[in-house]
Amino acid sequence: MSARFKEAFQEFWRLNVSKIGVAFLTILVILSVYVIATYPLDFGVRYWNNPVYWADHPKSAPPSWINYFSHEKIPEHYVFSSDKPSNTSITESRKRLIYLFKLDFQADRTPTFLSLTIKNVTYYDKPVMIRLNVTRPDGKNIELYRYTVPAPYGDESPPYRRFYDQPKRISLTGDMSVASTLARFLQREYNVTVKPSEVNSIGQHTVIFSVPKNNTQFTVLKGDYVFYIMVDTYDPRDSIGEVKLVVGGDVYGFMGTDSLGRDLSVGLLFGFPIALFIGIVTSTITTLLGAGLGIMGGYIGGKLDEVIQRTADFVNNVPLLPLLIFLAFILGQNLWIIVFLLVVFGWPTLTIIVRSMVLQLKSGQFIEAAIAIGAPRWWIVFRHIFPQVAPFVFAQLIFFTPTFILLEAALSFLGLGDPTMPTWGQILEYGFRSGGIYVGLWWWIIPPGLLIIWTAITFVLIALGMEPVVNPRLRRMK
Amino acid sequence: MGLTRTLSMRALTLFTVLILVVFFIVIILGATGTSDKILQAMVNEEVMMLRQSLAKTIKDPQELEKVINIRRQELMEFYGLTKPWYIRLPDMAWRVLTLDLGKARTLKTFAGGNKVSDIVMERLTNTLILVTSATVISAIIGLALGVRIATRVGGILDRISSYLSAISYAIPTWWIGIILILVFAFLLRIFPFGGLYSTPPPSDFYMRLLDILWHAVLPVATLVIASVGVWIYTTRTIVLNTAQEDFVNAARAKGLPEELVRRRYIMRVAAPPILTNVILGLATSISGAILTETVFNWPGLGRLFYDAVLVMDEVVVIALTYIFTLVYVVARFLLEVLYVILDPRVRY
Amino acid sequence: MVLLGLNHLRLYYKTVRGIVRAVDDVNLNVESGEAVGVVGESGCGKTSMANAIIKMLPSNVALYDGRIILDGLNIVDLPEDEVRRKVRWRRISIVFQGAMNVLNPVIKVGHQVAEPLIIHAEMDRDEAYKIAREKMKLVGLHEEVFNRYPHELSGGMKQRVVIAMALVMNPKIVILDEPTSALDVSIQAQIMNLLKKLKRELNISMIFITHDIALASDISDKIAVMYAGQIVEIGSAEQVLLSPKHPYTQKLLKATPKLTGEEKPEFIPGTPPDLVNPPNGCRFHPRCPYVMDICRERGPGRFEPEKSQRVMCWLYGGENE
Repeated sequence: MSARFKEAFQEFWRLNVSKIGVAFLTILVILSVYVIATYPLDFGVRYWNNPVYWADHPKSAPPSWINYFSHEKIPEHYVFSSDKPSNTSITESRKRLIYLFKLDFQADRTPTFLSLTIKNVTYYDKPVMIRLNVTRPDGKNIELYRYTVPAPYGDESPPYRRFYDQPKRISLTGDMSVASTLARFLQREYNVTVKPSEVNSIGQHTVIFSVPKNNTQFTVLKGDYVFYIMVDTYDPRDSIGEVKLVVGGDVYGFMGTDSLGRDLSVGLLFGFPIALFIGIVTSTITTLLGAGLGIMGGYIGGKLDEVIQRTADFVNNVPLLPLLIFLAFILGQNLWIIVFLLVVFGWPTLTIIVRSMVLQLKSGQFIEAAIAIGAPRWWIVFRHIFPQVAPFVFAQLIFFTPTFILLEAALSFLGLGDPTMPTWGQILEYGFRSGGIYVGLWWWIIPPGLLIIWTAITFVLIALGMEPVVNPRLRRMK
Repeated sequence: MGLTRTLSMRALTLFTVLILVVFFIVIILGATGTSDKILQAMVNEEVMMLRQSLAKTIKDPQELEKVINIRRQELMEFYGLTKPWYIRLPDMAWRVLTLDLGKARTLKTFAGGNKVSDIVMERLTNTLILVTSATVISAIIGLALGVRIATRVGGILDRISSYLSAISYAIPTWWIGIILILVFAFLLRIFPFGGLYSTPPPSDFYMRLLDILWHAVLPVATLVIASVGVWIYTTRTIVLNTAQEDFVNAARAKGLPEELVRRRYIMRVAAPPILTNVILGLATSISGAILTETVFNWPGLGRLFYDAVLVMDEVVVIALTYIFTLVYVVARFLLEVLYVILDPRVRY
Repeated sequence: MVLLGLNHLRLYYKTVRGIVRAVDDVNLNVESGEAVGVVGESGCGKTSMANAIIKMLPSNVALYDGRIILDGLNIVDLPEDEVRRKVRWRRISIVFQGAMNVLNPVIKVGHQVAEPLIIHAEMDRDEAYKIAREKMKLVGLHEEVFNRYPHELSGGMKQRVVIAMALVMNPKIVILDEPTSALDVSIQAQIMNLLKKLKRELNISMIFITHDIALASDISDKIAVMYAGQIVEIGSAEQVLLSPKHPYTQKLLKATPKLTGEEKPEFIPGTPPDLVNPPNGCRFHPRCPYVMDICRERGPGRFEPEKSQRVMCWLYGGENE
């Protein structure tokens, strides 16, 4: 048997398509293993579908490398965080922790948002107060925001712990008090009258990072910005964890973000093991079931064969997608249900072919001989029928895999995917549903499709490479 | 004659399939409790209407409730809700078969009505327009190129077409549509993003026709691109195999002109297997139609399916599952009639 | 009267392994009313010769020359269009193994028989059908077969259809290429009887190609033995069967089982020659029991040991004859 394997493998390896296919498959497997090792299992629910996790990411941002091709410098995304202050200033009443974040801003457009997040605050006496100031390149200084951590509740006793489970995110963008501050700033420094509500619609982040031309137009101000976050504590035991300042960019990461700000490279990576899983598992189950039924029906014949055949015929005569949609809709959007449905619709094709192969083999003389010497049925099937059918069945397994990957993608695209697991089809579905195509969010629309195609092609190539091995007639023609 | 007998057998088989599918749908609906939900909704609807009309005449609230409850009980018995779901099977099956499914939950017809059968039927034509044009165009291109390549086997065109055909097996139809929109609608602004008409639709008949055609270009192109590779490749292979048959050689030995040999001995004989492939690809065409309509917001049955799933309108989903099966069965039967006409070997 | 004359006919094909010399300098005359049997193993070039005669050339032909004289025309030089209109079916028709796949499966057989009349003789449908029916009756087919499809007919019936088809334009010569190989022996006998009857009644010439020398002997007036693309022996049926001169012919006859007598059939040792690289000198020399030195070096000339019996073998002549 192993000699046959070796020969078959050499035949397979001769073709270029096989080599390319295997190379692709290796990459897919490596990426999948990496993802399985590093991502948590509930990634979908815990992170992907959790908007809070993505709050500090720019929304619908193209990948950051696009800046190399753009004539206009698009603002990058900056995240400053520290859990140790750069400076401390102590007076008798309070200890002030100063966190300094410097940013050399050279983009041609202003940032897309500005936010401050604090985590793990403990205080014993007076609530901790936090202030955010910025010094602009033109030397002007603005006290942007002042915030006091919530006071103790009625029955609470020190130490008072705040923002341990859930960090506190303060978005300066959209904050009316910041808008008022900025309105006054503009009036004072530039003699430009802009109402706070107008500041809010122009964007606090825009005003902070620009110089007004008149009361509606702003030009971006490039240069060094220094942000001071001053945390005043009133008890020596008071502490604060991480302080984070986010200057929202308009580009992000390797693959950009979607309209919820989710990092697409993270989501797309997660799709690798799922796609492989769906494709291979569904294919394997379908093949085993289909071949098994085919062998049983073909060899045993009689009533069993009739039943199997009729059922296979019926399933084959039914239009696939509408029923798949109906069943997925009624039975629920769950990964296993989808796999189940795909198997239910996939087995007949193989059964019919395997059955006719078995029928042909059954009339062969070595079967007659085996029966004549009294071999039990299962032995004959195992020893004589199965090895003949196996190569073809294995080839079909590979051949079916892309079909299932594509079917799952189609179902996801129609919104019937499993919402707890972001597959490529689902990412595309969301992009489509939120109108991404109409506004040209190509980084959201094109990569998932390409990945689906790439995975499918990998298996198509391997199947093409296996064809001459499985179908000896084609072997000689090459 | 052998012809009628064969055809009746096929008609019977396909009809059985349709009936079985309807029963299957109904069983699933019953077993998951969905049919209960639907019928209950129909009852509630009627009760509500009754309440509104009775409220004008019966002023006493207790009296009103009594009458309404009696009526509700009557309705529940009428719809079979007082019995377990499997007793209702034949009734439900008949309902599905005749599209008597009441009102859609949220979806509406173009005119604003919400009867399920209306909603579904008015979109049937749109889908048929899309699918038929795409099929005809794919067929013409596929056959023409396939025959061309079959006469120059091994050439560059041959190799390109076989790679393309293999690749088209791996590319989702709907993604092609998305890319076409990105390129031709968003980037180049040549074609519209989707829909059947521009808003507002032109009033002049010919302008309106042109408007529809303009909107149809991208969706039809998507369907054609997805399927033409397979058409070309199967035509090429079948024509090639047929051309190598002995009777083709014998025809030439008979001194028949090459044109006649090509027409009657190659193409005419290759027609049945090519048609078989078309039949096999029918289900794929339907999936392609559903997905493409979704992408292009083409108001046909496919897009309706997507919308119904999105808003969880079960009644429409059921109606559509049935209609698609019906369309599939009818189309298949028509093609098989054609096949039997073309190939005398399958007649009993 | 010589109806068809083949003169130094050559047909070579181009293949991946080299040039196949399928028909290599063949000379043959067919008289009117005469049946010539062409006998040889598979792959010896008999079918290629048949194709060459009606100029049915494949796309990979490397060489096609010589003369094929029919009614004053040299078919080799005739343009394809004229061959199609004047030669094929009108003057020479060909009967393939009809039991196989020679009839168009989707067209009624009656129409296929009538087809040449409609195309070549430009007859109208009804006239052509009438003649077709006559021919089908002639070959012993029932009237109702006319409207049948090939898959509805048995092997023997299909063969008769093919024969009727070949006769429909009253050609002068009919080539029959293994007409009975795919049939049962009993049907074979029926078909052979039919052919003999047709030959007698219609006085057509035949070229009967077969690997079965016994079968050839049943109908042929003249027998030509082919080996490796050449005719190695030709003579009247009696001459070739009763006093075969070429060692190959002798071996062929010895390989035929005989109904009477104790002799067991002998097989011919060695393998059929490779037509790309045929053996030097006489192509049969590796398998010949009488091989001489000269056989290995030089191809033999054509010698005439008896009147009208020609052999390509050094046994029957020296270099100077």
